[in-house]
Order: sequence, then structure tokens, then C-alpha cells
Amino acid sequence: MESLELSPHGTVWGFTVQRFAPKAPPYVVPDGGFVPFAVGYVELPEGVRVEAVLDCTDFSELDGDAEVTLVAAEPVPRFATKATR
Amino acid sequence: MSTGVSIIGAGLSKFGRQPDHGGRELGVQAIRAALRDAGLEWADVQVAFGGSDGSGLADTLVADLGLTGIPFTNVKNGCATGGSALMAAVHAIRSGAAEVAVAVGFDKHPRGAFDPRPEDWGLPTAYGEAGLMVTTQFFGIKIARYLREHHISERILALVAEKAYRNGALNPNAWRREPISADEIAAADMVNDPLTRLMFCSPGEGGAAIVVTSDAVAARTGRAVQLLGAATRTRRFGSFEVFSPSIQGSGRPSSVSTDAAAAAFAAAGVGPDEVDVAQLQDTESGAEVMHLAECGFCKHGEQEAMVAGGETEIGGRLPVNTDGGCIANGEPIGASGLRQVHEVVTQLRGEAGARQVARPRIGFTHVYGAPGISACTVLAV
Repeated sequence: MESLELSPHGTVWGFTVQRFAPKAPPYVVPDGGFVPFAVGYVELPEGVRVEAVLDCTDFSELDGDAEVTLVAAEPVPRFATKATR
Repeated sequence: MSTGVSIIGAGLSKFGRQPDHGGRELGVQAIRAALRDAGLEWADVQVAFGGSDGSGLADTLVADLGLTGIPFTNVKNGCATGGSALMAAVHAIRSGAAEVAVAVGFDKHPRGAFDPRPEDWGLPTAYGEAGLMVTTQFFGIKIARYLREHHISERILALVAEKAYRNGALNPNAWRREPISADEIAAADMVNDPLTRLMFCSPGEGGAAIVVTSDAVAARTGRAVQLLGAATRTRRFGSFEVFSPSIQGSGRPSSVSTDAAAAAFAAAGVGPDEVDVAQLQDTESGAEVMHLAECGFCKHGEQEAMVAGGETEIGGRLPVNTDGGCIANGEPIGASGLRQVHEVVTQLRGEAGARQVARPRIGFTHVYGAPGISACTVLAV
């Protein structure tokens, strides 16, 4: 198996908002409690779509092929909109 | 064309909450109902296949049905458990190994069931810790992308769910028997945008069984339904499934439902345009919308006009989920695939009562589930 370096920039392919706190465990409720968050797939220039938590100030920022940038690869990929960075 | 296999009996247990009955019991009730329907006894059955996702082993049902010594194989295939059991029964008949076979599926899931663990899916613990081990996210993301890509309004999700409850109200065996308006469905708590709580099916309870025989045996009974074609498939490269850290490849994801439906239609020698009544997996109402196109009943994006025009209603051109589907019957994982077959058999025989479609001749069933499996049948009278 060979590792490929993927672009840190992409567009939101599709997303949803997690409106309720996922079951814990396995979910770990963050300090300060659960707040709804966006999760979706980011389409990278290489074609592959990567599942990620999507940081934004308003969920509407994620509509319509929104451009996002990788802000963390671990523990799960996390991308952010321009307004958040 | 014909596979040489017919369905001569179909039976269900009651669906919905039944605190006094265990999951295995629902499986036994379904088999007894199917045998009664076929005019047979358990002693006439030569081979059986079946399973549940979380309610025990099907082969233990012989303790209740009778110790006749027949081969009884357990099947565990997620949402395709019933479909896989039926395929195995069909193969047994076609091979000549048996002339009478039974397929059964049953389950009894409590409220809030389905607790997937990252480790069981080959995923890192962090995936669950981050809040991504949530089944409903997948459905939300898939339909959100689909509606945007094909310019379909979100209203279709409420309309399809409204139809499910309306059809459920006409089905004496359904769990949900109260009509709910599209406005109320749309205004219910949002689970994962754009899907509200009332657009999803719930973990449920029920059993379903089908008796299949050779055409020669079927010819001796009056109410046989021909199995024109059946197929099960697993996902190919580039599909989009629940709990996927990535969608591989590029372009539109591949669809296992498309593959299974095409294989079933090819085996049957008929096309989707010839189908008079269909059962499509409706884990949530968006799934029914997408499966209409994935199974070949319309082009992507045509669903909005189809639904607005009433084409998928009981009186429409292609009635879909006439028994209320998973949304009105609940989702006992092992049973749902065979419940679908039961409904189409009932419709083709003209025995569906208040929800009867006018003189259907060809029917279709489709089940889809994790981690990318689909089973389809084409039936005819």
C-alpha cells in the first residue's frame, strides 16, 4: 500500500447537521456540553470525498459547493469555512 | 421467462410493539401464517433458511414448529437477511434439492436500538468519540446531496412520508395507522437535516415468511405467484455507504441497488416500465425517492413530478410501498425484506383489501442495507 498526500483544500460535496447529542459512549461530549455540529464530505481536487466535521459560524455557509480548508487531520478530519478561520 | 420457482404462501406476524411476544415467537407465527396460506404443514417443508439481526437463531424455531429433521440454515445479512434467505430458498428449489422451501426473517428491536460500535466496523475509536457513529447522518447527507444535485425541493420528503402513514392507515397489520399531514411531518424535530423524526422508520418488531416451491408443486395450488427473477448484490468500488470515512473514486457514487435491480430485471426478462406495484426500501422517505431512480423507475430528478402527480400513490401509475413501508410498519431488520415480498404477493393476488392496487400483473421488491447490500425480486401472476 502506498500513501498519497491529498490537498488540504476542497469543496463541500454534501453535509447534514447533527441536531441531537449522539449516544455516549461512543460519543464523548465536549467540555461545555453538546452543541449541534455539521458533518459531511469534502470533495478534494483528487476526486476522493473525505468525511469530516465541518466548522462554520452559520450552517448556511456550507451550502452550494462551499470552499473549505483542512484545520485538523486527527482524531478525525476537520475542515473549516473561510468565515471560521 | 421464469426461474421455475413460485411463491405459494406468504405470512406475517403482527408488526409493531408486542411486549408479550418474543422475537422468535414472531418468526414462528410468520411461518405458521405462511404455511396456512399455502395450505401446507411444517412436515411438508423440505428445507428452510432464515435469520434475525438481534433476536436469535432461526434454526432454533424447529423446537416450536416440529423436529422433522430438515436442513435449516441460519442467515445473518443485515437488512438483506430476508432477501438472502429467500435467494437461498430459491436456489434450493432450482437446483432440484427440494420442492418446498421456507424463508423466514424476524426481529424485535427495542426503542432506540441499533448501537453500532466503531471497532465492529473496522473504524478507529476516535470516529465514535467525535460523534460520527450515527446512522442517520448518512441518510441526511445522501439525500441532502441528492436533492441539491437534481434540483428537487425538500417538500418531497414530507410528501413521501405522508403517503407512508396514509397507506399504513389502510393496512390492518401496520404499526403506524394514523395519517399524519405533510406539514406536521415537515415541522417535526429535525434529526439530521433535511430529515425530521417523522420521516424515519423506527426500530420495530415483526416476522415474515415465504413458502417457495417448484412450478410443478405450485401448479397444484390456485394462488401461486411466479418468481420471474431475483438477485442479491454487494457494493462495488466507489459506492456511498453508512460509516464511510471516504467515498472512493470520483463522479457519481456507484449504487448496489442499481446493480441488484438490473440483475433481477435481466433475470426476469422484463423492464421497470412493466412493473405495476413496487416495494422500495424506505429507511427514511428520502431513500424511497432515491431508490425510485436507482432501481430504474425514473431518471434522476424526475421524482418531484412523479410524486406531485400522485404516480406513486395506490391509485397511481406505479404504487410504491402500498403497505406503508418501513415508515409505517417499523424496521425489524430480519423481517423487512420478506414483508415487502408478502405485500407484493398480496397485491398480485388481489387480496390487499382497502389498499388494493387495480389488477397488478408484475411486482417488484427492493431491500437495501448496510454495509452496501441489496436484494431485489420481480414477481408476476
